[in-house]
Amino acid sequence: MKPFANEPTLELRRAPARELLVNALRELEPKLPLAVPVLIGRERGAHEGFESTDPGEPDRVVATAGRATQVDAGAAVEAAAAAFPAWRDMGANARAEVLVGAAQILRSRRLELAALQVRECAKPWGEADGDVCEAIDFLEYYAREAVRLEHGPGLLQVPGERNTMRYEPRGVCVVIAPWNFPLAIPTGMTSAALAAGNSVVLKPAEQSPASALALVEALREAGAPPGAISLLPGFGEVGAALVRDPRVHVIAFTGSSAVGLEIVRSSADTPEGQGHVKRVVAEMGGKNAVIVDSDADLDDAVPAIVKSAFVYAGQKCSAASRVLAHEGVADALLERLSGAVNVLIVGQADDFAIDVPPVIERDAQERVVRYVDIAASDGRIVGQQAKIPANGWFCPPTLVTDLPADSAVLRDEIFGPVLAVERVRSIAEACDALERSPFALTGGLFSRNPETVAEVTRRTPVGNLYVNRHITGAMVGRQPFGGNRRSGIGSKAGGPDYLLQFVEPRVVTENTMRHGLVVE
Amino acid sequence: MSQVEDDPGVEAELGEVGRALYGSFPQRSRNPVKALDARAMELASQDAELRAALFRFVDVTPACRSLDDLARHLSGYLSEVGEKPPPLEVAMRMAGTKPGRAALGVAAAGGVRHMAHRFIVGESPRKALPVLRELWEDGAASSVDLLGEATVTEAEADRYAARCAEALDTIAEAAPRWPERPQLEADSLGPLPRANLSVKVSALTPHIRPDAPALGREDASRRMRPLLRKARDLGAHLHIDMESLDALETTMDLIFELLDEDEFREGPSAGLVLQAYLRESPNQLDSILAWARETPRTPPLVVRLVKGAYWDHEIVEARQHGWDAPVFEVKAECDRNYEQLTRRLLDARPAVRVAVASHNLRSISHAIAYNRHSGGENGDVELQVLRGLGDELAHALAAQGFRVRVYCPVGDLVAGMAYLVRRLLENTSNESFLHEQAMGVPLEELLAAP
Repeated sequence: MKPFANEPTLELRRAPARELLVNALRELEPKLPLAVPVLIGRERGAHEGFESTDPGEPDRVVATAGRATQVDAGAAVEAAAAAFPAWRDMGANARAEVLVGAAQILRSRRLELAALQVRECAKPWGEADGDVCEAIDFLEYYAREAVRLEHGPGLLQVPGERNTMRYEPRGVCVVIAPWNFPLAIPTGMTSAALAAGNSVVLKPAEQSPASALALVEALREAGAPPGAISLLPGFGEVGAALVRDPRVHVIAFTGSSAVGLEIVRSSADTPEGQGHVKRVVAEMGGKNAVIVDSDADLDDAVPAIVKSAFVYAGQKCSAASRVLAHEGVADALLERLSGAVNVLIVGQADDFAIDVPPVIERDAQERVVRYVDIAASDGRIVGQQAKIPANGWFCPPTLVTDLPADSAVLRDEIFGPVLAVERVRSIAEACDALERSPFALTGGLFSRNPETVAEVTRRTPVGNLYVNRHITGAMVGRQPFGGNRRSGIGSKAGGPDYLLQFVEPRVVTENTMRHGLVVE
Repeated sequence: MSQVEDDPGVEAELGEVGRALYGSFPQRSRNPVKALDARAMELASQDAELRAALFRFVDVTPACRSLDDLARHLSGYLSEVGEKPPPLEVAMRMAGTKPGRAALGVAAAGGVRHMAHRFIVGESPRKALPVLRELWEDGAASSVDLLGEATVTEAEADRYAARCAEALDTIAEAAPRWPERPQLEADSLGPLPRANLSVKVSALTPHIRPDAPALGREDASRRMRPLLRKARDLGAHLHIDMESLDALETTMDLIFELLDEDEFREGPSAGLVLQAYLRESPNQLDSILAWARETPRTPPLVVRLVKGAYWDHEIVEARQHGWDAPVFEVKAECDRNYEQLTRRLLDARPAVRVAVASHNLRSISHAIAYNRHSGGENGDVELQVLRGLGDELAHALAAQGFRVRVYCPVGDLVAGMAYLVRRLLENTSNESFLHEQAMGVPLEELLAAP
């Protein structure tokens, strides 16, 4: 295999590249709604039970999906358990070939899959294309990682004994995925589990079943045994049933803190007959802040902060929701940020000329509006784009300041286009403020002083700190991604430690001395 | 490869032109401060770490709150340099104490200010007028460029447009009082405006989006139209600069669209920029020439041919995204392309006027020789240089009777930093012509075909 390289995104500054995407959407449109069946092993179940709709035009149905039941959950786990030994015994190289094959299939469908995300999740074009590329990256990266891992680490050897260490897959892995990276995140968790030799039951978010189907199709077409990758479109009760199932070994979850913590609690149970402790990998919420030092270059900081907070309407776990500005630069920063927020263009995701698409669903819209109201009463709104389309789940991107330290706007993960600016007297004070937050996913720093960069690097608890750039858009292999504290348990996706969570290490020590003779 | 390219006549004439220009370069300045500048630049070009430290320092200077803060930044950057030349060891020791930092801060701030003044002609158009007049008297025209912070808000776009309007008024009001300089005031195609302003499309709108060029184009057009009207009414020239590739489609579309509007068919004199480092520049020239032929205007469109100032940015951007580099990565390829574009542009007259903007003696001599060879008068090709980098060259060109224009940035230090750092990068790059010249590369090598 060639060394890993990130899949290049489309060069959307070129008109022909943009046309490719627009044409792909035109071709997809008449095929909607797509049918997403429940897929358990070789069984193809119903594909009518619920619908995914276009957040920008809620009357438009993007997919109809089968609604998996708790019985389906049990059947899928059984199929996965049955498929496990053969998949495990294939060896890392053969499994890597399947993953690389699936990557190739996604690559050949990338335009169509980006168009699908534009419709199903209102992802703007650049983001949608990036998501498909990230999915391809995960497949390619974990394929190589699994091959590397199979060799095991070297151990200290002394005469008369032989020490070896190897990694074995754990068994059945449940993947519970979010809608905000509808292809990349399910692909990341699924491909890691599969590459390491586990079998997988995938429960995608109910908002984005069609993107998940594309992944399962690609894996199966590339040679993954049907039992090794089942698809259970559906709602929370299916996820809960999967998490409870005693035959499940690993649960890989990305989503809200509430659900993540519930999974941690529920999977801690070891009922009679369950011969193992479940392993949970959970990527949860964030409340990400950007620190702006007095020497920051605002020409760089303002566009980067706006991008971090408002691209995809703030619906990335890495998105910025707080800015901690040094008082020496706070006024200038606020003025420029508010001007920049006032000119944001809110509109449909399929239009290249927008900055902020709708949020995913009505609940999300209502939540954002609630926080904007709190922002207005707790503090002072200094920037807002109130011109938003009437239909669809649009919200006004909002910039707020002068909030009291205990305001919910500064504390809660809003997961929407709302950004709060706070004033600090020093960088140490900014670090103190972050120290008090239970979240530690991403963070940003704008400073041109090497000492400040070193100090914030030392003090910040966040999983991913970005210095003098936007804080979203982690790339596989370049920015292994994941949070600390209550933002996540588990290790960085797209990094060299990730696969270790899906395997158990086994060490064998053999005595090679027999009657004083070393028999190697 | 065209025939003319291999024409030994052009090559021979080019050599003569180059040698004559080289002979009229003034002696190295005896000004001690200027020599210090030159030494700092020389150190920087020899050591990548030092170069990075110097640029980071220049870049942060206006954002520092005090001399102490300034000195702390400087020592922070220098501490990352492995082998420090003796003067920098002294600087590091000074940074260890508060009075030392104050002294270091004063010295360093003075150094940056001095460097800035070399490249930036004044804080405002009014304050720049004496320099513009002096240049004119010495036989060089000018184009004023207003430095500014990035435009991220409506207010900033409006402010930049207002500054441009004011600059046009100020320069156009003063220029008629300058003495006559016939060589700068007309070519074979007619009169040339004295007042000349360069504008940046990205500063006229907060909506530059590489993937949605129409957005920025429409918003910038609203602010560009009044400037075109003003330039037309004042008889001034308006030149639309080119920036990074991310703004290229926006900029080109805006120019083609606006200059095609009826009210601008008869003026103002206007121009655009072609960047020879772009691999696609020959195709761009195709569309520029096709447009110019379909859209005849008086006075004709001016095309300024440059190498391009965003080379590092374009390379990094492409590498980070896994895209093919849009620019030539080998200098000789870029130089060859520059000459081919020069020939095509000069051949395309009278559909366009040509301005060759370069500090490369070979490229300039080539343009002059090819112009003569294809029957042009010396005044039929404009030669442009940058203030601070091409001063000596401008002198030599004017002394030899060529039509030369100096690109003159105007603005305060904060606003000028991005510009200044770009120019410093250019000046200390090992492939820079100026660097080669300073390093004493023999003239025949400087004039050799790329």
